[in-house]
Amino acid sequence: MVEKLKKKPRVYDYFKEKEEQYAGGLAWCAGCPLELNLRFVPKVLGKDIVIVGCPCCSAPILYGQNVGTWHRLSYYSTLMTGVASSATGLARYYQKVGKDVTVVCYTGDGCAADVGFQPLSGAAERNEKIIYICYDNEGYMNTGVQRSSTTPLHAATTTTPVGKESRGKPTVPKNLPLIMAMHQTAYVATATLSHLEDLAKKLVKAAEKKNEGFVYLHVFCPCPVGWRIPSDSSIQVCRMAVRTNYFPLWEAEDGKFRFTHEVASPRPIEEMTKLIGKFAHLKEDQLEDLQQMVNDRYALIKTLCDANK
Amino acid sequence: MKAQKGQVRVITGNAAAAYGAMLCRPDVATSYPITPMSEVAEQLSTFRAEGLVDTEMVEVEGENSAMNVVAAATMAGGRAFTATSSWGLVFMYDAVQHAAGFRAPVVMAIANRETPGILAVSGGQQDIISTRDSGWIQIIVEDCQEIMDSIIMAFRLAEDYDIQLPVMVNYDGFYLSYLAMPVEIPEREDVDRFLAPLKDQPQRTILIPGEPLGCGTHGIEVGFVELRYKHCMAMERALQKVDEIDREFGEFFGRSYGGQLEEYRTEDADIVLVTSGGASGTARTVVDAKREQGIKVGLVKLRLFRPFPRQRLVGVLKGRKAIGVIDRSVGFGWNTGPMYMELRALTPEIGIVPMLSYIDGLANLDITVPHIERVVDEVYAASQGKPYQEVTWIPLEE
Repeated sequence: MVEKLKKKPRVYDYFKEKEEQYAGGLAWCAGCPLELNLRFVPKVLGKDIVIVGCPCCSAPILYGQNVGTWHRLSYYSTLMTGVASSATGLARYYQKVGKDVTVVCYTGDGCAADVGFQPLSGAAERNEKIIYICYDNEGYMNTGVQRSSTTPLHAATTTTPVGKESRGKPTVPKNLPLIMAMHQTAYVATATLSHLEDLAKKLVKAAEKKNEGFVYLHVFCPCPVGWRIPSDSSIQVCRMAVRTNYFPLWEAEDGKFRFTHEVASPRPIEEMTKLIGKFAHLKEDQLEDLQQMVNDRYALIKTLCDANK
Repeated sequence: MKAQKGQVRVITGNAAAAYGAMLCRPDVATSYPITPMSEVAEQLSTFRAEGLVDTEMVEVEGENSAMNVVAAATMAGGRAFTATSSWGLVFMYDAVQHAAGFRAPVVMAIANRETPGILAVSGGQQDIISTRDSGWIQIIVEDCQEIMDSIIMAFRLAEDYDIQLPVMVNYDGFYLSYLAMPVEIPEREDVDRFLAPLKDQPQRTILIPGEPLGCGTHGIEVGFVELRYKHCMAMERALQKVDEIDREFGEFFGRSYGGQLEEYRTEDADIVLVTSGGASGTARTVVDAKREQGIKVGLVKLRLFRPFPRQRLVGVLKGRKAIGVIDRSVGFGWNTGPMYMELRALTPEIGIVPMLSYIDGLANLDITVPHIERVVDEVYAASQGKPYQEVTWIPLEE
């Protein structure tokens, strides 16, 4: 049986949970914030969940790439094209036989925004009772840092390199959380690991709202290797993404938008980009572009949040 | 014990597929419309809307999801059904392989249609061939009654503890999908009774929330090889099982189809035709007519394409003087029919005799009585030592 979830007063209360679902050390790259993110999911959602995922950075731990898995949760590993649809199949069967099971999809942005987008959008439109968590590391990091459709404007990746005739990715990223919110599902939210209280609240809300319909959480998740940042700086980068409004924290419950964290005086985007190697080549004009994009996107989400006031 | 007499209704092949699925009470079913199977989806949704089944119907946004949904539902412990055709099957190809690798006991009806490349809204069996090596059991049927009965039998086969493999039930798109003919629809209790032995079997391994158990761990080295081997062994067991289930179905419902293949007037035949699907009915008519003319011809209707019924085919083909194979698809790179190719592989067992490949019925072209008469005449001439052409594209020679 799934225990009734309750919001705990302080974020570290979740870590008091004795039973740890993951092995003590996980084989991720040094400083990868996926570990914090993934350990946190069953801390809040409980262990009676089924995790559905695909080949991605979380695969070695969740689905046992080349060795056994590194946890004792129930999991279903499928292809990148089949995550949201497989979760649908599981959830529908459990509904049919009256089992209260939380089905949690956990994938990167490449699956969610690119190759697995169609089933994701389909499941959202059908308002399937599942939770989909996308950890956004802004590219195909598992396969060696190629660009995805959430790779930011001007960022360097192995397929949008900096060279004589190229200065990083020429197009703006897909605004996936907003696209998902436009499906008007039960609950959509953005979150990141510098704001764990916020993430905890959103996971608790997710568990509640998935009884009504589709839940989508978009978690900003830096990649120390792919972004070329020091392995002890992931959380700092997360925090700066929030402080620059590069990654605003908001939620949309039943289509109603709300900021969950507002930044009083946002920092210029350089304060984030200067921390990250993939932006090291940025010249003034590119920084201006990026700042403009951040401003425009923030204005858009603010309009949506204000409309709800 | 015998089943009660079912109600006879005049229904299409698509409706027969939907009835067959409904009678097996799937937990989850999915569908995405595609010509010529869309009616299966509509029928199932109607059954659901009328409360005839409590199946979770998922109206997915594409065939790829249709397959992933049902594969996952079976891995959770459910019974699941879907249907598609041609390009739909191609679009779900990764999930089709995935379902087989998971040993997910899904049953899928396929209204066969030409596959992409050349846009053809028309029948053909190229989609069967395109999924030949995906690890599924592939059954090919001939008429609307056989569609329905085969879907019921397919659930018995797919979910059998010794098999645990997904099963495709193939029927000619356009020809059978839209053909209405009288079909005896069994009573639901009787279908329940027929499927009941599955309940006495050990519980197959399923996903249990909260338990440290998963599907889809990366297999490496010997572990991977072992799973592949076990998959192949399950395919081998399926050969016998198909015959057993068909026999049991026949004893209970009074209709049987020969299991892996059906023989028609082969006992004393000098030459044998090999067909599959709807063309077999026409071929039987021709066999009868040619017999009256004194040609000792027999017919093999191939019902099971994967696993390939090697032993039974050798049994019936050994010692014949010539063999003709009619394919409704092409084998690229061999320039023969694909089923012909497979039969040629039996040469060491059946001996070297003239084998003739006929490619016909592509893109909704009819496999007519004159076409098959021609095949019999040429195969007969070859059996008499006359020269023959190995491959004939009938529509191009008319």
